[in-house]
Amino acid sequence: MSLAQRSYRSMLVGQAPALTLLVLCVATALLTDRFLSPLNLTNILVQSSIMAVIAMGMTFVIVGGGFDLSVGSTAALAGCVGAMAMVKAGLVAGVLVGIAAGALVGLANGLVIAWLGVNPFITTLGTMVLVRGLVFLITGGAPVGDEGLPAAFVAFGSGRLLGIHYLVWVPAVLLVVLSWILHMTPFGRRVFATGGGREAAYLSGIAVNRVIAATYVWCGALAGVAGVMLAARLQSGQPTAGEFYELTAIAAVVLGGAALQGGEGTLYKSVIGVFIMVVLGNSLNLLDVDSYWQRVAVGAVIIAAAAADRLRSRAKN
Amino acid sequence: MGSVDGLMTRGSTPSPQPFPPEEGGEGARARCSNPAVSATSVTKHFGATLALDDVTFDVVPGEIHALVGENGAGKSTLVRILGGVHRPDRGTIAVDGRPIRLASPHDAIMAGIVTIPQELRLVPTLSIAENMALGDLPVRRLLGVLPVVDRRRMRAAARAQLARLDFAPDPDLRLDRLGFAERQLVAIAKALHRCRLLILDEPTAALEHREIERLFAALARMKQDGTAIIYVSHRLDEVVALADRCTVLRDGRIAAASRRGAFNVADLVHAMTGRDEDRDEIAPARPGDVLLADADDRPDAIRLRGGEVVGLAGLLGAGAERTLRRFFGLAGRAGTVTVRGAARRIGRPAAAIAAGIGMVPGERRLGLVMGRSVRDNILLPSLGRLARYGAIDRAAGDRIVARLMDLLDIRPRRPDLPAAALSGGNQQKVILAKWLAREVAVLLLDEPTQGVDVAAKAQIHRLVRDFAARGGGVLVNASDLSELVRLCDTVLALRQGRITARMDRAEGLDEKRLYAAIGG
Repeated sequence: MSLAQRSYRSMLVGQAPALTLLVLCVATALLTDRFLSPLNLTNILVQSSIMAVIAMGMTFVIVGGGFDLSVGSTAALAGCVGAMAMVKAGLVAGVLVGIAAGALVGLANGLVIAWLGVNPFITTLGTMVLVRGLVFLITGGAPVGDEGLPAAFVAFGSGRLLGIHYLVWVPAVLLVVLSWILHMTPFGRRVFATGGGREAAYLSGIAVNRVIAATYVWCGALAGVAGVMLAARLQSGQPTAGEFYELTAIAAVVLGGAALQGGEGTLYKSVIGVFIMVVLGNSLNLLDVDSYWQRVAVGAVIIAAAAADRLRSRAKN
Repeated sequence: MGSVDGLMTRGSTPSPQPFPPEEGGEGARARCSNPAVSATSVTKHFGATLALDDVTFDVVPGEIHALVGENGAGKSTLVRILGGVHRPDRGTIAVDGRPIRLASPHDAIMAGIVTIPQELRLVPTLSIAENMALGDLPVRRLLGVLPVVDRRRMRAAARAQLARLDFAPDPDLRLDRLGFAERQLVAIAKALHRCRLLILDEPTAALEHREIERLFAALARMKQDGTAIIYVSHRLDEVVALADRCTVLRDGRIAAASRRGAFNVADLVHAMTGRDEDRDEIAPARPGDVLLADADDRPDAIRLRGGEVVGLAGLLGAGAERTLRRFFGLAGRAGTVTVRGAARRIGRPAAAIAAGIGMVPGERRLGLVMGRSVRDNILLPSLGRLARYGAIDRAAGDRIVARLMDLLDIRPRRPDLPAAALSGGNQQKVILAKWLAREVAVLLLDEPTQGVDVAAKAQIHRLVRDFAARGGGVLVNASDLSELVRLCDTVLALRQGRITARMDRAEGLDEKRLYAAIGG
């Protein structure tokens, strides 16, 4: 095989997420004309927007060699605490409190994982349950701020700018900023190095514990952003919100080509991974597939994505 | 071990010609028996690359046949064909004179061909006995029906096999309680019972002197029992000391083959590279200011001047490696160190690097992030310096990488390739490039040429000398004393954490004296 052929092939493999999405969209569009309706496409965008924010944070953690199961609970916490603060102290304070709450959960995860060396899976499984418990304690299990949320916030949840929902603008802007951080700054390169070889990175002078903790703070803060967005969309802080978000986000990141053992991943491809998950659910809906079967299909896709991750790394070695 | 006399450059007069390929009719002992395993006219391509070209090779019972060559010369391919990993394009393999098809590693093991790779395939959490019985666990029936592992039989079998190597550990000991050398003996013992041909791939790469002796003693025992042994190694002094026969591969062909006593290290180097061994005359160091020194009074206190290459010699655990780690902030509690006149506490690598110290660790996976590109690896310690307005200055980074890849002759010149794709020698150069990019003043080198071929080794030595000639200071730990003698201005001998002797190039560096000084 010539070099040109090989690089052509590796380029195809590199764009596998985009190609998968394309095939999925074309297939669905051929099977049902409802898929391409403006209403449906808008729906997909809005549904993807919140998950995209979470998946971007998850990409930081996974590239850094970690894992975060607590993002769904964190989003619920941020939504509820943010809504409470908003009712009392206004829009800006509410948003900031929500995001800060997320960052705080991330910091706790990061400290335990980086400095105590506890396995990320167990740590974040713990925080996932713990934070969900906190949310119920704080809210008493009832939605927060049904009445009394600032009108601007409610408008943000359903309004549009240039014909596109505000909720969609958020991940669009974040994608640009976060791509810069992960792919162009020294910090970003350190995340890749730490995930790809923690000891080698440490021996190159990188403060690996700080880098790892930082990825969890980013992930938590972004889960916080997602939680606030979700509250805006639901026009209240819902204590039960965000369940299974962690699974969808992890599946999306892996579908986007990030390596679960760390050191590899691309932010925009993780967003494509989110679209794959959302479009899949959407198309199964449009095709009237039984909702129980939908779960089976989504589970199978997650396993397939993880298997593809293994096959890729095996092909490399 | 009698290898000291045969070490690298001293003692023997190099013959001017490469020794001629072996011809039939010599009346050596080995001739009496038929080959245990033979490969006849074996050719193997990988894509367009010709890895082996019409190679004929055999090994007879009770013989140690060394296989040497530079990286890429075809040693691994030949060994893998014999081990059933690859199938030859042309040519035949015969065991006890009968042609055989080795379609898988399993076939090879069934034919009595056992390979002991560099990475041992043992389970650290199981006992020695379990490891040895794995795959063939002895079973007895509890109450005549329920199958259970027959631990007594397993233990007895393990003990008997280990005894053949004069090794008598408690077979119930967990494997992870053993050092690497002992694990290697376990791996060999495990293979013994149906082994006709034992293939050892770089068995001494991770061993120190005393352990090497033990391994050699075990191999001698196996020889007596009639096992045929193929010994692949970069350490030519060992080959001279150990091998009954030696075959040199170069570019997939047999470049030379000869019997014990008919070759020395210089012959081997010549046959491997097609030229004589590089023996650069080292200009005497013109030491500059003190770059690195212990501020505390301690038995292993070091003073390193600019322009100087100082070697640390010692058996495993004598403190040579620990001294390097200490200056790189890896030794737990930080002592006070003077770097270029300024007192500093070095508690972690980042502090050492900030003070202008770089380290090449003993294991390459610690020096490189294997999955990342050569470019990323070279720039890793310099990321902070390359930032402009928060982002990395790509162009400046690319310039540095291109310059260093040229300077160090890192091949292939592909900065985008993952570090894992490079050969050992080139990986080692990338690690050096990391520190040159960062412009450190002091280099700490731990086994800088381990598992590196002769040509790359000479290049690395030259780079280290150049670094010193430009005013840098270098501290080297190497278990191969001939390397220290070749490379260093001064060698310090360590014993149990103390410096017990100091030898300078001016007074003459001598392996034998050094060997005595470290207590080997």
